[in-house]
Amino acid sequence: MRDALNEALRAVDQVLLGKQQAVRLAVACILAKGHLLIEDLPGMGKTTLSQALARVMGLSYQRIQFTSDLLPGDILGTSVFDRNNAQFVFHPGPIFAELILADEINRATPKSQSALLEAMEEGQVTVDGATRPLPDPFFVIATQNPVSQSGTFALPESQLDRFLMRLSLGYPSMAAERSLLLGDARKIRLDRVEPVLNRQQLHALQQAVPDITASEAIVDYILRLVSRTRESQVCSWGLSPRASLGLLAASRAWAMMENRGYVIPEDVQAVLPSVVSHRLRAIEDPSGHGGGGLAQWLLNEVPAV
Amino acid sequence: MKAYGLIPRNSLAWLLIAQIVVLLPQLPRLPFWVAVLWLSCALWRIQIQRMRWGYPGIISKVIALMVVVVGVFTSQGTLIGLDAAVMLLLLLFMLKLLEMRTPRDALVVIYLGFFIVATAFLFNQSIFLAFYQCFSMLVLVAALVGLQQTPGRNDPARAFRTGSVLMLQAIPLMLVLFVLFPRIGPLWAVNAPGSQARTGLAESMAPGDVADLARSGELAFRASFDGDIPAHRDLYWRAMTLTRFDGRRWSHSSFSSAGPPGDWQPRGEQLDYRIVTRASHQPWLFSLRGASSEDEQVLMTQDFMVRAKRPISQAMAYRVSSRPQSLLDPDGLDPLQRRINLSLPEGSDPRSRAWAAQLRETHDDDAALVQALLTHFNREPFHYTLRPDLLGQHTNDQFLFDTQRGFCAHFAGAMTFVLRAAGIPSRVVAGYQGGEVNPRGDYVLVHQFDAHAWVEAWLPGQGWVSVDPTFQVAPERIERGLQEAMRGEGSFLEDSPLAGARFRSIGWLNNMRLAWDDVNYQWQLRVLGYESERQLEFFRRWLGTTDWQRIGIFLLVAVAIVMLPLALWTLRPQKRSNDPRKQAWNQLNNRLKRLGLQARNGEGPRDWQARLVAALPGQKSQLNAFFDDYVMLTYGHSGGKPDKMLTSNLTKKRRALQRCLPRKLPPGATRVLD
Repeated sequence: MRDALNEALRAVDQVLLGKQQAVRLAVACILAKGHLLIEDLPGMGKTTLSQALARVMGLSYQRIQFTSDLLPGDILGTSVFDRNNAQFVFHPGPIFAELILADEINRATPKSQSALLEAMEEGQVTVDGATRPLPDPFFVIATQNPVSQSGTFALPESQLDRFLMRLSLGYPSMAAERSLLLGDARKIRLDRVEPVLNRQQLHALQQAVPDITASEAIVDYILRLVSRTRESQVCSWGLSPRASLGLLAASRAWAMMENRGYVIPEDVQAVLPSVVSHRLRAIEDPSGHGGGGLAQWLLNEVPAV
Repeated sequence: MKAYGLIPRNSLAWLLIAQIVVLLPQLPRLPFWVAVLWLSCALWRIQIQRMRWGYPGIISKVIALMVVVVGVFTSQGTLIGLDAAVMLLLLLFMLKLLEMRTPRDALVVIYLGFFIVATAFLFNQSIFLAFYQCFSMLVLVAALVGLQQTPGRNDPARAFRTGSVLMLQAIPLMLVLFVLFPRIGPLWAVNAPGSQARTGLAESMAPGDVADLARSGELAFRASFDGDIPAHRDLYWRAMTLTRFDGRRWSHSSFSSAGPPGDWQPRGEQLDYRIVTRASHQPWLFSLRGASSEDEQVLMTQDFMVRAKRPISQAMAYRVSSRPQSLLDPDGLDPLQRRINLSLPEGSDPRSRAWAAQLRETHDDDAALVQALLTHFNREPFHYTLRPDLLGQHTNDQFLFDTQRGFCAHFAGAMTFVLRAAGIPSRVVAGYQGGEVNPRGDYVLVHQFDAHAWVEAWLPGQGWVSVDPTFQVAPERIERGLQEAMRGEGSFLEDSPLAGARFRSIGWLNNMRLAWDDVNYQWQLRVLGYESERQLEFFRRWLGTTDWQRIGIFLLVAVAIVMLPLALWTLRPQKRSNDPRKQAWNQLNNRLKRLGLQARNGEGPRDWQARLVAALPGQKSQLNAFFDDYVMLTYGHSGGKPDKMLTSNLTKKRRALQRCLPRKLPPGATRVLD
């Protein structure tokens, strides 16, 4: 099964060139049963990544383009009156899929945003009084465009906290871009990707993550990190217990991907920037979410051993 | 510290607590409306915090300021002077609450609080207040700590704990500075605060005044003798002479005390003693007969008294030497003094004058006349009482021939009158007689009820001679004190049923009272009395120098000695862990540090291992063996400590690694590290 995981990573890397680290973090996020927020410029491969992941994992895939006139019903589905049977029939919305790409989530109104985010948190949706469960591996990749913020509704801190990780893909390296330009079109590469895992295997992998050993030493390290953000005068506020739980889960998933049965500080350090940077805000920067520098500061500040 | 943002709720609570703690010792001195003002300011500030009310506007602030200024003026009668200034400061300190928007404003309030803690000592320097103000400081420090806490970690109890630790750490420094820091004289003199009327000797005496004083159980002063304490009957504490008589009152005349001391011949044994007085707001000091003092604060006067250079506004300690057998002015009085000490008002007390003339006829010798008068007091049915009858126009006549009941002031006044009428220069001496010996501290406690008046007559060849008519009437007063003298009458401290001195007969209570008084006395003597004189004495005795430069060096050295252990404790290297894995890790890293190899901040074990292998390729296998074992033991186990065998294995691998480490880093290795 580990081989299958490595195979899957390689397959995604074939599509998204030169972004191994981001791909591994995204997979770790799935394994830790967390949702992913990708913040990057248009055209950096956000959609490609999510589509490749869905194909490799053998998941059903839906893409929702968030716009300012999107309504919660457009996400969750609506009941339509059926004349023949003289009753309402529920037409499920795009959210009833295993992997959702919520594109440009900050373009929609808060009402629609929270419809999605509630579904993410609860794993079920309630429409017209009837509660319907979402499919079991249920995984949301939301994207955000950091520039041209006019006419957008930035996600508040409470909703950012729902995402386990925030990634930024960034420009590819020169070599990767060269092979991108010389090689086949993305669409063709994407079609070439075969499912490596199936639903049961993914489920089994997700179930195995909590069994990875997290020793007292590693828990102490996580506690040191978290309490540092709470006590220091650099952050506006500290990390929540949900953040420390997420950090531990992501570290375990990372250790599993490293084929190790236990977590070491390097695992924590690998996932920490993407897990905490969107949850922190520097005191000198009252409006922004540029927590990247804070994550680096935190890693340098807290002794690992 | 955030310079912007709101004051957190917990910090505000601490601030309000700190403010009330700081204000509490000052409130009893202030009018009632001050407390009301504080309550309304606090309420307003709480309502601001709850977003019910807004901050006051500029107009309301100006009105509040004017109200405060008018309030200070009406209650103190002035805006100038220490009382008014402190009151103004306190009121503005309260009003500052309404201007406190940001944490920076709160800092100003806290710093003001420290200043106000200091101002309380201008009015009171008791041991209680000192301890209470330590507590105030603690609360202020806690408020300061609370203000620095982040909103996520806002624990009032923790702020208090941190504050206590800070205060405890400051105590050694405080002691060093108390002992060694130079006592610099005040840069400007301030008027004595709180000069409200207090019981004590007054500059004039009507019959009955001293009896009023005798109803007070307050302490007047304490005296400790270098040698044995003299007998009760010999303790005549002179404070002032009363030479002017207006027919009813005897009062002090500056003519008889203005100049330097007259002629005197020291005789008899010398008594050396130190006196600590309370703030009496009068210049009178107390001494036994034949006193001289080298104290700088003390003046000698023409009537052989000691007095302070200015009214005593705080507890004062001074040394005096006395030779009670000395002859004062034995060679003759100068004409002015003679006239002052013989003058009587026209037309008063005709019967006394007649009797004086009669005595003069029968006794040629002055000394014999004095003796005859004393004998008269002894023989006739005079009665010593705290409840004398009211006297009419000719007080001395009425007392001597009609009522014959009186207190020491009646006897002394009447005797002086008769002596002057008979042509013998004489004066009334006011002061205290006797005192209570505190066996614990071996000193004498003199209370207000020990106040006494007696007579000094000038006899040719002998100078001023002290005689005490009261002794003829009530010798137990002189031998054992007022309480014994009033035993039959039951009038001792009858107006103050709770005065400690009343309960001298209850053994344990009296012991406690004396023990407490001893603590107070030592406080006054050693802490409050540790002024520049005594400090210099201390330097001379223990450091052998009074050169300020050398003392400055001693001060710095002492501060360093005190602060060094604290600094070492605070900056001590990481605690020695009792986890064998951690120990092995620390030992290896200390060894590597000597080679110049050090893990980066926050570097994980595997990264560190990789860099080490790159730097020390020759020790690769030992390095890997140790690090693999360490990582496995530390992170591969959940819960509990690993068993001994595994940890001893780790130690073995560490030793093996350390054995093969080079003494010096091979050249080029550091480059790899960077």
